[in-house]
Amino acid sequence: MMLEGKTALVTGGRGGIGRAIVARFLREGARVYAADLTPEGSLAAHDDDGSIFVKLDVTQEADAIAAMEQVGADTGQLDILVNAAGIEIEKTIEETTLEEWSLSFAVNVTGTFLTSKHALPLMRKAAKGHTASIINFGSYDGFIADPGLAAYCATKGAVHALTKAMACDHGPEGIRVNAICPGYVDTPMLQSFFTGDGSGGGGKTIDQLQQAVRDVHPMRTYGTPDDIANLVNWLASDEARYASGQLWILDGGLSAQVQQMKL
Amino acid sequence: MRLAGKRALVTGGRQGIGRGIVEAFLREGAAVTTCGRGPRPDDLADSVIWYSLDVTDAEAVAELAYTTDGTDILVNNAGVQVEKTVAESTDADWDAVIGTNCKGVFNMCRAYIPQMPDGASIINIGSISGQVADPSMALYNASKAFVHGLTRSIAVDHGPRIRCNAICPGWIETGMLDAGFELATDPKSAKQDALARHAMRRFGRPADIASMAVWLASDEAGFATGQLFTVDGGMTAASPLNPGLF
Repeated sequence: MMLEGKTALVTGGRGGIGRAIVARFLREGARVYAADLTPEGSLAAHDDDGSIFVKLDVTQEADAIAAMEQVGADTGQLDILVNAAGIEIEKTIEETTLEEWSLSFAVNVTGTFLTSKHALPLMRKAAKGHTASIINFGSYDGFIADPGLAAYCATKGAVHALTKAMACDHGPEGIRVNAICPGYVDTPMLQSFFTGDGSGGGGKTIDQLQQAVRDVHPMRTYGTPDDIANLVNWLASDEARYASGQLWILDGGLSAQVQQMKL
Repeated sequence: MRLAGKRALVTGGRQGIGRGIVEAFLREGAAVTTCGRGPRPDDLADSVIWYSLDVTDAEAVAELAYTTDGTDILVNNAGVQVEKTVAESTDADWDAVIGTNCKGVFNMCRAYIPQMPDGASIINIGSISGQVADPSMALYNASKAFVHGLTRSIAVDHGPRIRCNAICPGWIETGMLDAGFELATDPKSAKQDALARHAMRRFGRPADIASMAVWLASDEAGFATGQLFTVDGGMTAASPLNPGLF
């Protein structure tokens, strides 16, 4: 058990990747707060997994303050914060409305800012004798672009820079800050590609699209939420006590290749 | 004329990117010397000085550096590629790729750096393949990563006297590119697919790389050193997923 005695809060904790992180943290012995808009989250399913649900709209500062007050009252400190809440709008900048652009930044960037800002006092208390750990969600899309995901790509680039800035500022206080940069992970977000929401698909069936996406990965598959949770768990644990300020790409080798030409 | 009064040496000027750089430097007023294995190409402009040189031969390189004393601009363009994985690569492949792409660049830099004048510029031809991997190009990819590392080292060790940068071309229309497509089961559709992966919807031309080389060689680039400049039509800015899928 790598996280025994630690307290963790996961935003988007009832979503595709967040839920896997919550489950993993629980197995590793942590006390886990799953923060999300609703107890069902984006998977629209209850999960009586032993985590403590906290209602949190990451775009609302009052919600962030209230969530941290609750954690503070219960445990007095926070060892691990995972900023996994995120949305994506599948559009070019020309198609994106100002409202969609602002919402993308409100959730993906401002949400990471607000939750982290109000978690820091509790994390400083945890960072006595060992380090506390913040894990943000970047994306391989913060390095290279997927077509028709302009606002999403931009928010993830912002999260990458924010991660390094936070690592610089709060490292001296014993707080490590890293970002996980997933590639394609099997979540409702990915399935919305396959079902055609906001995508063309070129007349292909869902099976063909899934196979095509698998084939372009050197590992010949896309990731599972558990694959992501494995690295989040390590970054959260004391084994990662010297890891800070880094962007950790976890994408089955997708972005290690130039382009997978049809040769 | 942005390079008037400057003396330039370009390795591998027989064809492709190297020849494109030779021609662009000439147009900008530089005195250009180039070299390659074998005799002078017939179609090389009369004003260009040609030396037969194998960059893997350190003694010959040192001799050329002595002969071309006062060179302001050094472009290390000579390079070879072998299309194999690590498991397939032979000792001879290693000697060919590492010999030219790594040792050749090292030989040239070691010989030229001590005698280059203040304000000199070294331009190494790296590659996008030194950043992200092209399949079945293991030694080539690794050799270009070496070039990138050496570029930064030279910039750090020999600034402010000498600037050193690398250009990372993407897919440029040269013999090397055609050799790649000839390996495809259907070369024509492979070419179409590759084009769709370029935001500019075309492959690069030697002149596209030469225009960056001119800028890096010129005094306009006086604060640019130790960097990699990618010129690839937007290819590596895009995800490697199949174009048109989403």
